[in-house]
Amino acid sequence: MADLYFAGVDVGSLSTDVSIIDHSGKVLSEIVIPTGVNGSEAAEEAFGSALNLADLTREGITAITATGYGRASVAFATGKTTEISCHGVGAHQLFPRTGTVIDIGGQDSKVIQIDSHGRMLDFTMNDKCAAGTGRFLEVMANRLELDLDELSSPLNIKGESAPISSTCTVFAESEVISLLAKNTPREEIVHGLQRSIVNRIWSMVTSIGVEGEVTLTGGVAHNKGLVALLEEKLGLTLNIPENPQTVGALGGAHIARRAYQSNLESPTN
Amino acid sequence: MLRFSKHETTFNEITKNMNISIPDRSEYLKTLAQSGQKIMGVLPALYPRELLWAFDIHATEIWDPPGEILHANAHLQTTICPIVKKSLEFILKEPDIINAGYLFPHTCDSLQNLGTQVKDLIGVSLPVYTFYNPKGSFNKMTTKYYRDILQNYQLTLETIYGPLNPEKLLAACVLSHKIDSYLLAIQQARMTDHLAMNNLDYFKLMRAQEYLLPSDYLSLLEQVDILDQPSESPRARLMVSGILPPTSEILRFLDELGVGIVADDLLAGSRRIPKFPMDTPVSPLDYLTDRFFVLPPCSTRGGDLDERLHHLSKLMDASQAQGMLFDMIKFCEPELFDHRLLVKTLREKNIPVLTLETELDSHISGQDKTRIEAFTEILFEMASA
Amino acid sequence: MSIRAELKYKIMKDYGAPALMVLQDFKRRKPRPIPEAFGPPLESNKRLKEILSRHYFLSRYTPGVKKVAWVTSGAPVELLRAFDFYTIYPENHSALVGAKKQGADYCGIAEGSGFSQDLCSYARIDLGHMLSGKTPAGKLPKPDLLFCSNNICQTVLYWYKAIAHELNIPLIHFDAPFVTTEQTEADINYMAQQLQDMIPILERVSGRIFYLNIFEDILKRSMETSKTWGAILDAMKAQPAPMTIFDAFGHLAPIVSLRGLPVAQDYYHFLMDEIDTRVTQGIGAISDERYRLIWDNIAIWYKVRFLATFFAERKMNFVTATYTNAWAETTGYLDVKNPWTSMAKTYGQIILNNNLKHRLDLMKKMIKTYSVDGMVMHSTRSCKPYSVGQFDLRKTITADLDLPAVILDADIADERVWSEQQIHTRLEAFCETLEGSKHG
Repeated sequence: MADLYFAGVDVGSLSTDVSIIDHSGKVLSEIVIPTGVNGSEAAEEAFGSALNLADLTREGITAITATGYGRASVAFATGKTTEISCHGVGAHQLFPRTGTVIDIGGQDSKVIQIDSHGRMLDFTMNDKCAAGTGRFLEVMANRLELDLDELSSPLNIKGESAPISSTCTVFAESEVISLLAKNTPREEIVHGLQRSIVNRIWSMVTSIGVEGEVTLTGGVAHNKGLVALLEEKLGLTLNIPENPQTVGALGGAHIARRAYQSNLESPTN
Repeated sequence: MLRFSKHETTFNEITKNMNISIPDRSEYLKTLAQSGQKIMGVLPALYPRELLWAFDIHATEIWDPPGEILHANAHLQTTICPIVKKSLEFILKEPDIINAGYLFPHTCDSLQNLGTQVKDLIGVSLPVYTFYNPKGSFNKMTTKYYRDILQNYQLTLETIYGPLNPEKLLAACVLSHKIDSYLLAIQQARMTDHLAMNNLDYFKLMRAQEYLLPSDYLSLLEQVDILDQPSESPRARLMVSGILPPTSEILRFLDELGVGIVADDLLAGSRRIPKFPMDTPVSPLDYLTDRFFVLPPCSTRGGDLDERLHHLSKLMDASQAQGMLFDMIKFCEPELFDHRLLVKTLREKNIPVLTLETELDSHISGQDKTRIEAFTEILFEMASA
Repeated sequence: MSIRAELKYKIMKDYGAPALMVLQDFKRRKPRPIPEAFGPPLESNKRLKEILSRHYFLSRYTPGVKKVAWVTSGAPVELLRAFDFYTIYPENHSALVGAKKQGADYCGIAEGSGFSQDLCSYARIDLGHMLSGKTPAGKLPKPDLLFCSNNICQTVLYWYKAIAHELNIPLIHFDAPFVTTEQTEADINYMAQQLQDMIPILERVSGRIFYLNIFEDILKRSMETSKTWGAILDAMKAQPAPMTIFDAFGHLAPIVSLRGLPVAQDYYHFLMDEIDTRVTQGIGAISDERYRLIWDNIAIWYKVRFLATFFAERKMNFVTATYTNAWAETTGYLDVKNPWTSMAKTYGQIILNNNLKHRLDLMKKMIKTYSVDGMVMHSTRSCKPYSVGQFDLRKTITADLDLPAVILDADIADERVWSEQQIHTRLEAFCETLEGSKHG
């Protein structure tokens, strides 16, 4: 079975991620680039870079799963699966005892329950409003004139936090403006924003329940202050992947691998 | 034959073995109004349509008229459900197709207030009527009261349209009874794959009763082909609960994915058809009273939750549905209160559940598409396991 | 009923609760300084606080002594009193949580368990309390019975059904048909019959027998109390008004939740005396009352102090409200000789169960008799029966009476629904119009 390679291409609203694995599941390359305005171009570009990095050609890839918002625009994919299934499978590959996956993505956040094989049992997603997503943080960072990295600096979780109660991005933004007008220290506002996201995520988690270990995926997992708050609120330690942004793409690659292998085993083929 | 066959829109091609057509709603009503037919606009949900028929008034229902909400926003807050807003938008246009007045059955707080708002504050050129539906758990006293309400409503109509012809009312009840019988049979066939009809067409057929003359609707139902042998089962079997069927775009998407909606617990669907076949009507008011009390349990009537759970589980068993889709209308209190218990109970039984929230706009969001697709991935996985 | 529990209840009632009051007094920090814009505070405030603290405090000693009922604000509670139920009003409790700015916490618990964020916040707070046992009142007993009426909204029926299912306890529902023009004979008979049919269930749950004469006494007391409450509100026609409607939001608690009990009856006599004295002496609730306002809809519990101060500083006083009036408006229908039909009339025709024509006429009347200069409407996410129609009420009233008006989008108890910036701008603009209209 040598020389079989599989790829997952996750075209998200903010970033496009590619993961290439071999038949044993070993990761050969991972790429993250901004999606920009054209999802199919971003997919082409990220896939090309990932191939280069793995020193492979396009023809060398046996099967490709497209996932994410722009999954339909990935012309070269051999199959497509929702990012929800992909995050479940990806998290399972990295942390096999995962029972619950929390993915805080750009446009939406999700909580996914998986079984011991990484199969999805149930999931929930944030509602239309972007509060509790990566987008929310981005809007707020702009408003506070901070870059996203500054917004994610680890904070003393016992520190003061400004009350930001609103559950809607537009509302919260106007609250931030009022706080700034009152000369509230920016750290307190940042802390308040993180608390507001964590509360939002927490209510999604409780609505579906926690099973097994909990793995956090998506770019927001880099935000150390937020992770600390979330761990405190949930009362447990989260699994944080080394590359939290590519978990969906990794899951996609594994789904491509599984589908190929089960086709081989299936008697009709 | 249908009376208005020139305004036909044919069924989607996917539907096999079905060679019938359903007239377009607004064209049909326009022609009807031009022919001098008295037409009453009726808001959701439960009302004695037979009484209106007996006075030669056609009841057409207003649930989710198409078009943008503009003028209604000047009268209603942003946190009011889209059914109420869309209905008001429609009423404010004072459309010609409604010429006999508006009827507001008592369904929920928002519709209750909208009725008096339209009648007492906004004012329309047509008369506005109301009809109270008793709430809570029912007993003998409720039955008596409901009969009184029917009688009072009859009196109201008589003051405007003259004395009621009892034979006409009996005939209306007989017609209604026939329609119910057909609908029950079709629903049964749907659950057991004896109806070769896709999701989109099935719900078009169900919703045609909202605007077709009862005689036209009956002849449409008579043409529906119920198979002798079950046809192929869909890739996944789904039950849907809520007020209205999912939007056409969602139904089409489910059709594409190979998911069949095999049973429903919709207010604009099975919740307005008696739970079981009733005896042929003899005494009209008794029949109408009985009919109200054999409708399936419904959140808007404030019925018992255990009864509702039991009813849903029966429907799921009979249709062998693998999962439940809750299509919730934004801000719909009666549905949203019950929703939590229904979801909890189904989850405890390991039945996959998906909840969508709709504002009745025709466009399906990317996020909802992902939700539906991920949900079907669970159902397919279950079916293959 | 255990003798020990009964003894404990009695000791707590006679000694424990008064001791608690002393302790609370002692613990209480220095009272917040009263801003200059306000007149002297009401003496009755202290007594009110005692009554309410004691009511919540004593409730925890009820197990084994009294059966506990959760009751909606519009339900005919007099009937329950005849069986000596200890009544808890979840709406009142939720308002308390809201006033303490803890609404979002409790709502969060309910939302986490699957209740939608779009539901009434009184309901969400109560369900959050039920699911977690949390309460700012220390501890509350579990109910033995639920008693609700849809004369204030259908919401309470859905909400109480959810509790009844969760706790597996009986729910008595009083179905009050909405009045679209006027009550019919059928409506009245239906309601009267329902009330009588409740007796055997109440006897079973409470273990007590129904005596008509006891019930009549309660009804009499309830009538008398409502009338006193009405007289207190009437006294606010005086210029300057002896209290603000924000005070009245607080003093409303006994008429809502202790109606029919001697404690409520006594309390309102006490308050009436104080109000009368203030009127005679010309003492106003705010130090310089230049403008008189009407409030529509339930209070914004987490912003009562803010709003009271905002308006008082601008020499504006709320002198009447549709909300506070609701517990006085229909009392006139009560008739001890015809308890059942008169209760059907009283409880069936309250403002939220009556058509908007009725509400419009009532508001116009209040605006005239209370010499009102402007109107503030709270459009609340939580309450559809109170809020649907407000836009047109405002339009009509503004046009017919040439009255400045403003609508505030907020919520009764979920403080997350509050946009400080937006509300401030609207309020400032309203005040400018009001000042312009009176002096222009």
